[in-house]
Amino acid sequence: MRFRFAGIMSLGVLIASAAAFGTSPALKPFERGTWQSIVRGHVGRPVLVHFWGVTCGPCKVELPLLGQFAKDHPDVDVVTVSADLVPNLPAATQSMLDKAGLSSTENFIFNDGFVERLRFEIDPAWQGDIPRTMLITREGTITTIEGSAEIADLERWSAQQLSKHLSPDMQREHGK
Amino acid sequence: MIRTGLLGIVACMLLQSAALAQMRGPHVSEAACEEPTLRCATKATPAFGPDGTLWLVWMAGGQVSVASSQDAGRSFSAPTQVTTTRLNLDWGPDARPKIVVDRKGGIALAFSTFRDEAFNGQVLYTRSIDGGKSFAELKPITANNESQRFEALALDQDGTVFAAWLDKRNRILAKEAGQKYEGAGLFFTSSSDGGSTYAEAKLAREGTCECCRLGLAFAAPGRPVVIFRNIFEGGVRDHAVMTFADVATPGEVRRISVDDWQINACPHHGPSLTVAPSGTYHVAWYTNGKARKGLFYAHSRDEGRTFSVPMAVGQPGRNPTRPFVLAGLAGTVMVWKEFDGEKTSVQLTVSHDDGENWSPPRTIASTSDTSDHPLLVSNGKQTYLSWMTKADGYRLTAIEDQP
Repeated sequence: MRFRFAGIMSLGVLIASAAAFGTSPALKPFERGTWQSIVRGHVGRPVLVHFWGVTCGPCKVELPLLGQFAKDHPDVDVVTVSADLVPNLPAATQSMLDKAGLSSTENFIFNDGFVERLRFEIDPAWQGDIPRTMLITREGTITTIEGSAEIADLERWSAQQLSKHLSPDMQREHGK
Repeated sequence: MIRTGLLGIVACMLLQSAALAQMRGPHVSEAACEEPTLRCATKATPAFGPDGTLWLVWMAGGQVSVASSQDAGRSFSAPTQVTTTRLNLDWGPDARPKIVVDRKGGIALAFSTFRDEAFNGQVLYTRSIDGGKSFAELKPITANNESQRFEALALDQDGTVFAAWLDKRNRILAKEAGQKYEGAGLFFTSSSDGGSTYAEAKLAREGTCECCRLGLAFAAPGRPVVIFRNIFEGGVRDHAVMTFADVATPGEVRRISVDDWQINACPHHGPSLTVAPSGTYHVAWYTNGKARKGLFYAHSRDEGRTFSVPMAVGQPGRNPTRPFVLAGLAGTVMVWKEFDGEKTSVQLTVSHDDGENWSPPRTIASTSDTSDHPLLVSNGKQTYLSWMTKADGYRLTAIEDQP
């Protein structure tokens, strides 16, 4: 019951914040605890979390490639997080996501002025360089790619997740 | 660069309940408020005038303003607004307005705006000749209409204002030639009339990292030296210095250390440089390279030809960031930020032997919300920490001399 109440509270914050942004509710605010929510919310599925920003040149090049990857891999949950310091540009963020073919993925935007604290929750060693991609397996193992990701690496990782999931060993493991 | 680990998940489990308990309403801004006043500033940059007056330029509420203090930052004059309308000021992590004050009390300013929806930048400048009561109309530092950001200003002994910035104008030529263009160009200019007009911009170096602040100082009269994050072969974003032969003639690119940070990203984390009266270059920087990770310090006693072995700065578990180093008569002072998960502190270390040995770090300030980079400023006698914080406002703290 307590968990359900916390969930309703969180939803309330999300809706209120989305209303404050005055844009598509598809763009969710990333606040304290959001990282934990993302990880918990995708347990049991391979997740790709991509951190980027509207002023970051390499991000602009990578984003459309990621859009294509998301389209080609419905088995991977793709989550994007706009990690710019001042999260007051939801329109520019949404526009770039739309152009990159990422309108329908789960998209967040940093929504806490104290970004050092937000980043610390995600990875205490992260100093804010973007782009950055975190790959989370079904088992919760996180692989961090600093800088632009090679799509071939993402393809390989994705294939590994799929083959592990379908292997007889895994099925026996699940049957225990 | 790829790292793997279960640390994130473990941290998630530990933090989960605390995070849920503390989740509050949206905090959408780094600023404490949205007015153009100092209290609402996100970035504030200091400079001492020749008479000991402290000048401060800040960005707040989309405007750039200037005020002065006669009592070491305890009180400030009524601010003069430099901008006449709210501008889309460059709010990047390493952007800030710049200020130099010359011997006659003339004030030269420069800052960047985002000129379009693609976040291309424009460096604007202005000058005051009436003691900061008014500023000339803002002008672009170059007529070129591509992107410029991360300007730096420094004042030569003869009053010449030297400016350097990162400029993407040559990406157009590269694109037309079907060539790949990485990073930006290091461009420069100078003003012989105290910052009223600047000479035509020139290229010093193509292929620098495009999203980190520059450090700028004078190695000797007429000889500016710039520190920047360069892009070395293979996309390695390590640091370099360039000492100019004169304000119109760039020098060689000299690498500070081989950190081997190969990354196609915006680190948003530029270096710091100061030149001691002895001529020693003191530099501090952040890297996440294969050879070393974290904050580092080094010095050069031969104008950047060789540097000392990099010295690690700060506690690795405390996310040390934003180093700033300043050489003064009482020694060389270095500050940086650390974060413990809740609070940000400014750490201080001092060297009295031109960078050979450094005092044990100590905390000189802390805050519980977001903050600007810690900066150092000197009036020739006393060095101060200048730090804008969201929770506690602007602070100027005298650095006490240490044995």
